[in-house]
Amino acid sequence: MSDTIELAVTRYRPEQDTQPWEQRYTVPCSDDMSVLDALNYIKDALDPSLSHRWSCRMAICGSCGVMVNGEPKLSCKTFLRDYREAGVLEVRALDNLPVERDLVADISGVVEHIEAVKPWLIRHSEAPVDTAHSQTPAQMARYHAFSQCINCALCYAACPQFGRNPAFLGPAALTLAQRYNLDSRDEGSSERMPWLNAEEGVWSCTFVGYCSEVCPKDVDPASAINRGKVASDINYGVNLFRLLRGKGDA
Amino acid sequence: MRKPWQPQQPRNWWLRNPAYRRYMLREATALPLLLYTLLLLAGIVQFSRGEAAFAAWLSWLQTPAGLLLLGVALAAALLHAVTWVALVPKILVIDSDRLRIDPRHVLRAHQLGALAGNLGLVVATLWLLWPAGGA
Repeated sequence: MSDTIELAVTRYRPEQDTQPWEQRYTVPCSDDMSVLDALNYIKDALDPSLSHRWSCRMAICGSCGVMVNGEPKLSCKTFLRDYREAGVLEVRALDNLPVERDLVADISGVVEHIEAVKPWLIRHSEAPVDTAHSQTPAQMARYHAFSQCINCALCYAACPQFGRNPAFLGPAALTLAQRYNLDSRDEGSSERMPWLNAEEGVWSCTFVGYCSEVCPKDVDPASAINRGKVASDINYGVNLFRLLRGKGDA
Repeated sequence: MRKPWQPQQPRNWWLRNPAYRRYMLREATALPLLLYTLLLLAGIVQFSRGEAAFAAWLSWLQTPAGLLLLGVALAAALLHAVTWVALVPKILVIDSDRLRIDPRHVLRAHQLGALAGNLGLVVATLWLLWPAGGA
């Protein structure tokens, strides 16, 4: 068993480089070392100029997403031991996103898409201050998996439709729209439906399904988006009916 | 000053990952089905031209090229059906206060429906073609 492993890291230094290039590092390899540990080892012991993003080390902050051997992964949740056979680990910034430096992808476009769908509880009727908006366990179960998203953008790196057209709202934003539309306490679906119905909304998804495979929190965005297509169809029918009766959009 | 690197999606993006290759295979099942549809259209055209032309079309179906096309179209239709039916529970979620159906039952119902429909077609075809049957 080898106690070292080679990392082929795609570097990009905006001050010097016109395009990304590959740099190889040899790092210690033990059963408990994650790819993030290896990147931190490089930064601390081999090459302080390497830039990568990380925070919590426990798959909840969503900062440390990178491509590992071509797959979008959280580097803190990906272990060197699983790549011993491969020998070399190719690590690069998340696909489909602008690269700010080395392994740091710019996810601000993704965050804008997420904000656009109003991912918060919208109430038109204010509840009295002394009571809560009650919800049964069955009502919570309807959206619970979709609420586990940590905005890591691995699904955007996995989505060829987003790679083709960055205006596509993409997996996380459309999943969050669906998450709030399915929440029994929410009254804001009429404000989100125009986003689902739009050209950049659910209909730009062709159900590649890879977003759900790479999601580190088992959110299943492919299911959320394609259920969004059903919701969009129903919304179209309801709006047509309301239009014929001379009323506004639902 | 910021100077982000803007990646371009390569033309061969779908070759770079097994998940993308599976997706493209699923989508590509439409192509043999298109050829099969054109083949059936050609049959209708030949039928309108008379018995000899239709017989020639029928005999072409039994050539190696005809059998290959039919075989590929059948395989594509089966793959298309199996992969899409497998995705049904992700799309058709029946879960409301009044009615909840287990996603596994939704999947089984679609699989059984597809099986029954296809078997029904085979039985109906055999019954119609049987010498003493349809008459």
